[in-house]
Amino acid sequence: MTTLYRLLKYAAILLWSAFVLAPFMWALSTSFKTSNGVTGGPTYLPWLQYEPSLEGWRSLFRADGSGIDIAGPYGSSVAVTLCASAISLVLGTLAAYGLSRFTYRAGFIRNADITFFFISQRIMPPVVLAIPFFLMLQAFGLLDSEVGLIVVYIALLMPIAVWVMVDFFNNIPRELDETAMLDGCNPFETFWRVILPNSKPGLVVAGLFCIIFGWSDFFFAFTLTFTNTQLLPVAVVALNSSVTPWWSLSAAALISVAPLIAVALVLERYLSRGNLAGAIK
Amino acid sequence: MTIHRAKWFFLLPGLLVLVAIILFPLLFTIRVSFSGWDVAQPGLDWIAGFNYTRQLQDLRFWESMARLALLTLASVTLEYVLGLALALLLWREVKAQRFFRVLFLVPMMTTPVIMSVIWRTFFHESLGPANDIAQLLGFAPQAWLTDGNLATASIVIVEVWQWTSFMFLLLLAGLLSLPREPFLAAAIDGAGPVRTFLRVTFPMLAPISIGALLIRLIEASKLMETVYAMTSGGPGTATETPSYYIFIRGLREFQIGYAASLSLIYLVIMTVALTVIAKVLARAMLPKGAAA
Amino acid sequence: MALITSQLSRRVDGVPYLDNVSCRLERGGFYVVVGPTLSGKTSLLRALAGLDLPDTGAITLDGRDQRKVPVWKRSVSMVYQQFINYPHLSVFDNIAFPLRRRGMGAEEVDRKVRQAAQRVALMPLLDRMPAALSGGQQQRMALARSLAKDDDLLLLDEPLVNLDYKLREQLREEFLSLFAKQDRAIMVYATTEPNEALLFDAEVLVMHEGRLLQSGPAREVYARPANVEVARIFSDPPMNLMQGILHGDEIRIGHAMRLSRPRHFDSLPNGNYTFGIHPGDLAMHGGGIAMQVDLAEINGSETCLHASRDSVNLVLLLAGVHGYVPGDRVEIAIDGFRLFAFAADGKLAVAPSTNQG
Repeated sequence: MTTLYRLLKYAAILLWSAFVLAPFMWALSTSFKTSNGVTGGPTYLPWLQYEPSLEGWRSLFRADGSGIDIAGPYGSSVAVTLCASAISLVLGTLAAYGLSRFTYRAGFIRNADITFFFISQRIMPPVVLAIPFFLMLQAFGLLDSEVGLIVVYIALLMPIAVWVMVDFFNNIPRELDETAMLDGCNPFETFWRVILPNSKPGLVVAGLFCIIFGWSDFFFAFTLTFTNTQLLPVAVVALNSSVTPWWSLSAAALISVAPLIAVALVLERYLSRGNLAGAIK
Repeated sequence: MTIHRAKWFFLLPGLLVLVAIILFPLLFTIRVSFSGWDVAQPGLDWIAGFNYTRQLQDLRFWESMARLALLTLASVTLEYVLGLALALLLWREVKAQRFFRVLFLVPMMTTPVIMSVIWRTFFHESLGPANDIAQLLGFAPQAWLTDGNLATASIVIVEVWQWTSFMFLLLLAGLLSLPREPFLAAAIDGAGPVRTFLRVTFPMLAPISIGALLIRLIEASKLMETVYAMTSGGPGTATETPSYYIFIRGLREFQIGYAASLSLIYLVIMTVALTVIAKVLARAMLPKGAAA
Repeated sequence: MALITSQLSRRVDGVPYLDNVSCRLERGGFYVVVGPTLSGKTSLLRALAGLDLPDTGAITLDGRDQRKVPVWKRSVSMVYQQFINYPHLSVFDNIAFPLRRRGMGAEEVDRKVRQAAQRVALMPLLDRMPAALSGGQQQRMALARSLAKDDDLLLLDEPLVNLDYKLREQLREEFLSLFAKQDRAIMVYATTEPNEALLFDAEVLVMHEGRLLQSGPAREVYARPANVEVARIFSDPPMNLMQGILHGDEIRIGHAMRLSRPRHFDSLPNGNYTFGIHPGDLAMHGGGIAMQVDLAEINGSETCLHASRDSVNLVLLLAGVHGYVPGDRVEIAIDGFRLFAFAADGKLAVAPSTNQG
């Protein structure tokens, strides 16, 4: 490898790193500003270009009119995302195992069609389902509630679990299932005692994807909740008006995306260990 | 218990729950599309195919479809190329490899709409760093969010920032799972890096590339939140995507009947388009004779 | 008491995986299914195990219809050619798994596992995980599991194929002692190598294209193949087959080969036949038929010589290592007493007598 190539390689990596970090750095810097740091034009360095203050961060924990209470929406988001992801993972994994191992036939519908049906749910833009979901939840008294959102999210996240797990199961040799059955396990025991213990990488990936896509939803939380329940993205976007100071906005945004950094660390671990590939193919 | 009975216990819980949750919305949408439900006349009346004929002549809708095609193709292509480049760069031994890999994974973990909120402050013409950077590079300050073409470019930039990370993840996972032997064979045959990439690496990544492209295409087609947070479809309708347009018609103007018909036509078009693209990609990228 | 299949058939996408297979496997018997790849061996084993249901035909064990019995209620073990073990369990737990599933007590499980591990020489490795084992060790673990289960039916589908040569020889020897004479279990061993069947000296089922061609003791099938197909399959290298005419006192093969009619052909009417002779029954002999060497393959301590003349190709199996080169002229003697004759329909007409001489 020539030195020039090496230089270019690291330059490219650093360039992209700068691009990735840019919005974070900007938000971080802005979160410590007050009006002086913002209205005169963009400023970057604390103390040198503006006077830093904790006002932005403090406003996150004030439940009165001058700030927002971030703890409530945070908790709601965590609860809803984890619940919906867990349920989607369970139902999706079961369905995926079935689609991988057995042959289904209903008229002219076969396995591939059923899998396609699951995955094609992702094609539906949220906006299409918003109004009907609104009416549906209203009829069941589930509007503006965490349970209602969980129900909706299950429909969104199950396809992801199915997509990841079907591929994963397809990569486990059938002969392992057969050996388990010959050793006295019925199909459920086979699944529970033999296949599942060997599916950790797939489950981790599927679970993480569910959490990522669930945590990030804005639209359904936006249209289906109002006052009782508020999820994090909605709380933050509500600040996106011209009234809210940028520093509160930036602080709120940063605190919302922080937890998923931990997810990134876990995912990278699995990536490097080579477990991911079998799960995603 | 036989296998034939057991197999339904695996499939049905998930399938039935899914169908239960989306069946009503789907059927409702179909019914409503044949009604003229709006603010003035709430309720399910029957106006037959009027909404659909109106939609055929709705230029704003069809323009948004064209715009979506452009936006999606541009961002997904960039995401794939960049993602692949990054994956290749961080594949073999690099200093601080783990740090960079984690860093490059972060964007896709963030909430898109929240990042868009930050980007909005970033691209602010006078108060945000975007123009500072532009001037640093020798350009004049730009109207990032208020000029039609630039607004589209800004959205593409944000999308690429967010989702290149996803391509990076899948492609790096694919690269890490490739067997060593073909590369050893290529080295023995004297193939240089470019040749090795074109003839060995890239073809072996075909299955995962197709999966990644398809998933991204499906997700990108729903583009709405970024537009909502950054440009509100503007200036005018310059950055309006079909999802956003349906949102306006349905949840802002409450023309629910019309929005329903828009939704259905959109759904049909997207399903057909994506299925076709899936088949084409499979045939183009997989070696002859391999099953999709 | 036996496992009987009758008219077992199975088609997949129009291809017959099993074609009207009927056989009887007695308890206590060791059967070897021989046939080339895709001959239906695996299909037969899977049908016996209950893993694939046949389209038509019946399988009964001791008179009971097996088709209604789900796999997990049967007493069957299968050892695959790709070593299949439970990746998440240690060697001990792997072998113990089926026993625990049956509800066996911990002490008894321990005893049986150690017994089985002893027989396959895996005792020092009981705590290891499968990933830390070599191929041979993994396959032994699979065997140990089957042994510990002590089932009615033990199926082995080319279990040694993915092991190296030395290991294969070693395990083959161990097989015979492992599955020594007993009178309850039925063992079925599938292989593409007829020599393995002869080594085991077992009952043989010869299969081809889903059909069961012949069954019987290995030596008998070797000495009296029912037709040309069996003759070709159940011999390695395959039996030499030549088209010829029996006329009066002469056998005419090709343009120039003439042999005198051997005594065991006495009852044979004149006519067209396919004549066969085992490669090992051909010898180099001055004054024999002149032929030209095409190829000499050295296999261990034997030489496999391909020779031809006109349109007749012969393969000889010679003891020892010989340095023949393509193009050499050799003289080959065809011992008339070792000739087979197959009729025009392929069926065996006459086989050489099994008495030496």
